[in-house]
Amino acid sequence: MTTLAVELREISKRYQRAAHIIDALVDVSLSVEPGEFVLLVGPSGSGKTTLLNLISALDQPDHGEIFVAGVDVRELGLTAAAHFRNRCVGIVFQAYNLLPQLTAVENVLLPMVARRQVDRERALSLLDQVGLKHRAKHRPAQLSGGEQQRVAIARALANDPALIVADEPTGNLDEQSADVVIELLRRSTHERGTTCLIATHDRQLSRCADRIVGLSSGRLAALPA
Amino acid sequence: MIKLKLLFGGFGRIGLEAIAAAVILTLTNAIVACGLMIITASKNALSQAEKIDRPDVIQIKGRFNRALFETPRRGNLSPLTLPVYEPLIAPEKLVSTASGAVILMRQSLLRNVVSADGFLNTYLFGIEPDLEQRVSHFTVGRGRFLRSDDQSAAVLDQASAEALGVGLGDHIAVRKADGLDFALTVVGVITDFELRDAPPRTIEAATLRPTARVVAGGIFVTLRSSQQIFGRATLTDALLIAPTRTDVVTLIDGLRQTFRLEPGVFVTERLSRFERKVQDFTLSLSFFSIIVAAAAALAGALVVLLLSDVYADRRQQHAILAALGFPPIRNLLILISVGLCIAAVGASVGVLMAVLVAPAQFSMPSLMADLGSVEPRLNLPVGGLAAIISMLVCAISLAPVAWRLSHQNLAAELTETRA
Repeated sequence: MTTLAVELREISKRYQRAAHIIDALVDVSLSVEPGEFVLLVGPSGSGKTTLLNLISALDQPDHGEIFVAGVDVRELGLTAAAHFRNRCVGIVFQAYNLLPQLTAVENVLLPMVARRQVDRERALSLLDQVGLKHRAKHRPAQLSGGEQQRVAIARALANDPALIVADEPTGNLDEQSADVVIELLRRSTHERGTTCLIATHDRQLSRCADRIVGLSSGRLAALPA
Repeated sequence: MIKLKLLFGGFGRIGLEAIAAAVILTLTNAIVACGLMIITASKNALSQAEKIDRPDVIQIKGRFNRALFETPRRGNLSPLTLPVYEPLIAPEKLVSTASGAVILMRQSLLRNVVSADGFLNTYLFGIEPDLEQRVSHFTVGRGRFLRSDDQSAAVLDQASAEALGVGLGDHIAVRKADGLDFALTVVGVITDFELRDAPPRTIEAATLRPTARVVAGGIFVTLRSSQQIFGRATLTDALLIAPTRTDVVTLIDGLRQTFRLEPGVFVTERLSRFERKVQDFTLSLSFFSIIVAAAAALAGALVVLLLSDVYADRRQQHAILAALGFPPIRNLLILISVGLCIAAVGASVGVLMAVLVAPAQFSMPSLMADLGSVEPRLNLPVGGLAAIISMLVCAISLAPVAWRLSHQNLAAELTETRA
């Protein structure tokens, strides 16, 4: 039996904002096969980001179980969670989250620095794959939004993770750049057999997904036609 | 390179605050180090004064109130007489008054000393060898120093030995009070000595230090021998070592009471002079401690605020690095390194500045300035304390941020970052 890439069992997460309690996720169960390209779609506040944060071990659920590549994410301490993210998960943020003082290639090298296995050639190769080798020595401020997100994708692939999670990767991009980024994610994950979970509210991206999962008010929801 | 950029890059406007923190820390350290250098120098001066002044030692001496005349047997000394002190201090009075104190009895008289080859008008010191060495310093070049059971042994300084033409085992003669000669055997030659409260020089004679204002040459014999020579047990002077410094006042009162009818006996103490030095030191200590504490507190608080901003500004980088898999301890080390660098710059440049601007000589601007001029110098404790203050300031500013980061919700932080 093949281990699932991601398995969520009745996950719940609740936030408290001032006097209000918000149920970000309610009894969400989800399984993702290795190599699947899954879109999480839903309106803002539906719990997409929370779900990805839990899968990336950036946050802990209140209830339920999370397994990523067979690893029980809830059991990880701070250091183990950092190791887990470094080796198993590549994260792409909507706001890119590149460090402004580093060049493009140095940003790609960061996960390798964390792993203490710096391979500059590989970093340049990844930049080449996202079409930015010629911009390797440019800082984020010198790159366009689409280029920054491509650098972020190259960074997410740096340690060859089994899972890529991308939270609104095209949220800040124009349509043309968004297509490039999604195609890049699609191609990169397909070539490597990497599982990819993308949170988006852009239904236009559904054409390239293996599966689309709907979220509404923190619950899995049927997708409207 | 990446690590250096992670440490020092990406500060932006906050970089100015980091630089301001380093500058303030540098100035603080300079003030603190200067103050500490002066305090340390004052403390050293006080220790030195305590060693030199010996405030626990009281001197009692008889005035030269009557000349005893002795005609030299050889030599040409105008007017062919030698003035000598008449010993006035009765040992039994001292013993009864100064109970509990160590009493060093002395007889110091100028005498005409002859040897086989020459003569010399010089001081003859009757001392108690074991006790005397507790306050005075003797360096024996040849032979040995006196022993308390010596009967007719003498130890003399190098210059006197050369003037008399004598060496170890040779004999010298001194006329006793009854007119007969007293033969002394030279058992040692002193190359240097510091006789505490030595009498002033009165005549030209061979001496180790010709320019000295006190007697720096002479012949030392045991008190028993000198009593035989001078024909009396009374003392020319004596030193009393008080058991503790607080006993000095009581001892002085007792001595003054005992010798109140002896106009030629004087009691001298250095306690009050030393206490003025202590007061001067206390003034220096208080003044500069206040300056050091105020500078450290005020500037420290400012630096803490500035550094807290600097650290807080790193929250975004911290969250991104954590999301990319940097373990918390490495992330924290990056923060600590920034603080350590600022502390190191502040401490080292501050101390260097203190060394450059601190005066070579400093005396407290008090009315007395009894401690005199002190010489501020950098030493390990001063440098160490400056470094500790810098580290402490950085640690205080880092602590709340480190606590916050260690309890940070990465997801929330990254979401805030995005917002």
